[in-house]
Amino acid sequence: MRKVVGFLVLIAGLAWAQIPLKVGVILPLSGASAVSGKAALNGIQLAADEVNAAGKVRLELIVVDDGTDPAKAVPAFTKLMTVDKVDIVIGGLASGVTFALSGPVKQYGPLFLVIGAASSVVEQAFEGYPLFFHYHPWDYHNVAAALQFFQYLNREHGAKKVAILYEDGPFGSAGIGVYKQQLEKLGYQVQAEPFKAGSGQFTAILTRFRAFAPDILYWIGYDVDALPIATQARQVGLRPKLIYGAPPSWPIGFEKNPLSNDIAGMTAWLPTVANPQSRRFVEAYRKKYGEVTEEYMAPMGYTIVNSLALAAEKAGSADKNRIAEALAGLKMPTPFGLLSFKPSDTGRTKYQGFGPEIWFQFQYLQGSRRPVFPKNVATRPLRYPGEYYLR
Amino acid sequence: MELLLQTLLNGVLMSGVYALVATGLALSLGVVGIVNFAHGEFLMMGAFLSYVLFALRGMDPLLSLGLAFLAAFVVGALTYQGLIRPVLRATELNQMLLTFGLSILLQNLALLLFGADTRVVAPPYQATTLSLGPFFLGGVPLGAFLLSLAILLLLQVFLTRSRLGLAMRAVSQNRVAPGLLGIEADRVYLLAFGLAAALAGVAGVMLSVMLYASPTVGFVFTLKSFAIVALAGLGNLKGVMPAAFVLALAEALVSTYLPGGGGLVEAVFFLVLFLALVVRAWRPA
Repeated sequence: MRKVVGFLVLIAGLAWAQIPLKVGVILPLSGASAVSGKAALNGIQLAADEVNAAGKVRLELIVVDDGTDPAKAVPAFTKLMTVDKVDIVIGGLASGVTFALSGPVKQYGPLFLVIGAASSVVEQAFEGYPLFFHYHPWDYHNVAAALQFFQYLNREHGAKKVAILYEDGPFGSAGIGVYKQQLEKLGYQVQAEPFKAGSGQFTAILTRFRAFAPDILYWIGYDVDALPIATQARQVGLRPKLIYGAPPSWPIGFEKNPLSNDIAGMTAWLPTVANPQSRRFVEAYRKKYGEVTEEYMAPMGYTIVNSLALAAEKAGSADKNRIAEALAGLKMPTPFGLLSFKPSDTGRTKYQGFGPEIWFQFQYLQGSRRPVFPKNVATRPLRYPGEYYLR
Repeated sequence: MELLLQTLLNGVLMSGVYALVATGLALSLGVVGIVNFAHGEFLMMGAFLSYVLFALRGMDPLLSLGLAFLAAFVVGALTYQGLIRPVLRATELNQMLLTFGLSILLQNLALLLFGADTRVVAPPYQATTLSLGPFFLGGVPLGAFLLSLAILLLLQVFLTRSRLGLAMRAVSQNRVAPGLLGIEADRVYLLAFGLAAALAGVAGVMLSVMLYASPTVGFVFTLKSFAIVALAGLGNLKGVMPAAFVLALAEALVSTYLPGGGGLVEAVFFLVLFLALVVRAWRPA
C-alpha cells in the first residue's frame, strides 16, 4: 500500500514539475505557400512529440490555417487569442500575411515566434514590439547570401552578364531595383524583365534575352515557373552558363526531370547537411513520416519548438515574458547551425535568430540537390557552365 | 527582323493550344448555351491524369492523350447529366454561379487529392528543339500546335459531315425546330458538353508536358478562352482559331516589344476582351 501511495505521489510530483504550454500555430496549410506551411507543421509536430516524450514541458498545439491570405489569417489569429486564449504563437510564414497580423499581434500581445516572413516590410511593421522573435533571415540577408555567390561566379568563373526574370507580384518585385544596382556594383551587366507567375509564357522574353547572351539566367518566381523556364530557354536557343532559381519551393518531380540537371538555387537546409542535429532531425522525421523532406521549413519549425521548450525549461515557468527572457539568452545547436538572438541589422527588432550564414547554394544533379557553395558546406564542386550551355 | 519572326513563330505555336481549349468552351456555350466557368478544371484533370500515369506507370503523356479524352468526356457527360441539365431553364446568373461553384469544388478536390504542390512530368522529348536557320522551334509546342490543328480539323469534319455534328449545329442555331424534326436536344447537349470537356482534357495533357500540373493550372486558360470566344463571337466555332491567333500573337508581341511586357501578358487578353465586347455592343444589329 505504501509503495502504491509513494508511486502515486511520485507521478503527481512529476506532473506538477511539468510546465504546461498552450501554443497557437498559424500557418498556410492552403493557398500559395501551402507546401512550406505543411512542411513547417510536420517539423513543429515532430518536435512537440519529442518534447512531450521528454516530460519536462507539456506542449498543447492549437493549429489554424491562415490560407496564405491576410483576410483569413486575421480572424484565425483572433480566434487563437480570444477563443483558445493562447499566450504563445508560432507562425508568420508568408510576408504579406505576417504584415497583416502586425496590428492584431500588437493588440493582443502574445509571444510571437516567427518562422518565415523575410520581407523587411515585416521588420518595419513589428518595430518596437518586445515579444517578436524572428528566426528566419531577413530579405537583405538572402540578398547578401546570393550576392556572395554572384561575386564568386564573377571572380572565379568570369561571369559578367545576368538576365533576371522576376515575377511581377510582391515576392518577385520587392527590391528588384536595389538588387540590380548591387549586381552592377559587383561588375555585372544586368537585364531584368517581369513576368506573370504561372502564365508559363517565357518564350518572348527569353528570345529577347538571347541577344543579350547572359552568363547567368536568374529567375525569381514560384515553383510553377521552374519547368517552363528550363524548357523554353532551350527551345528558344538561349544558352546561359548557369540557370539560377529562387522559388520558395520546387515542383514535385522536378529532380527526376533531366532538365533540372545543373540548375542552381539557394536553400537554408538539405537532408545532406551533416551536423549532428540535422542528422538527428532527418532520422526522426523519417521515422515519424516515412519519408525525408527537402523543405527547410520543416527543420525551421522543429527548431522553433525545441528552442521554446528549452526556454520554458530554463525559465521554469509558462509565463510568456519569462520565456521570452530565457529565449533571448539562448544558445542552441540546430540543424541550421548555432541559434542565438541578437538585434536585427537595422536595429528595428530586438531578437533576430538566423542571418545570411545559414544560406547556401545547391545544384540539381541526377535526381537530388547537392550543396555547391560556399566551399565549407559543398559536397561537390559547382558545375559551371551547366549542361544546358554545353549541349 | 529576326526577332520579329521568332516572336511571331512563338505566338503561332501557342495559339494551337489556346484554340483547342477555347473550342471546347465555344461548344458548350454555342450548343448547350452554358457559360462554363469550370471549363479549365477539365483541363486540370487532363494534366493530373497525365502526371499520375507518368508517375505511377511511367506512361508517356502522348499515350495518355486518348485516355484523357475519354475520361474527360465521361466526367463532362456526368457533369451535364447531374448538374447542368437541371439548370438549363434557370436564369443565366444561376447557371454561372453553378459552374463557378463547380470550378471551386473541383479545384479543392484536386487540392485535397494532390495538395498544392506543382507537379511535373519528364518525357524524353520535353526539351526537343528544331532549328531552322536562325529560328528555333520547340518540339513540344510544335507538336501541340499540330495536334491541336488536327483535332480541330477532325471536329470540323464531324460537325459538317456527320448526322450527329449536323444535329449539334442545328440545336445551336435553333432551340425548338430541331426537336420538331426528331432531334433529341438533350442527347445532343450531353454529347456537346462531354466533347467540350474532352477537348479541354486533351489540352491538359499537352500542358502537363509544356508547363505543369497543379489544382489552379486551368484557371488562367478559362479566362483566356473566354477572351478568345468573345473575340470570335459567342458560340462561333469557326472564329475560334483566328481569334486564338490574334490573341496569341498580341501576347507574344507585347511580351517582346513592350518594356516590362512579360507582366502585361494577361492585360493583353483582357484588353482584347474589353474591346471585342465594346465593338460588338456598338455594332448595329
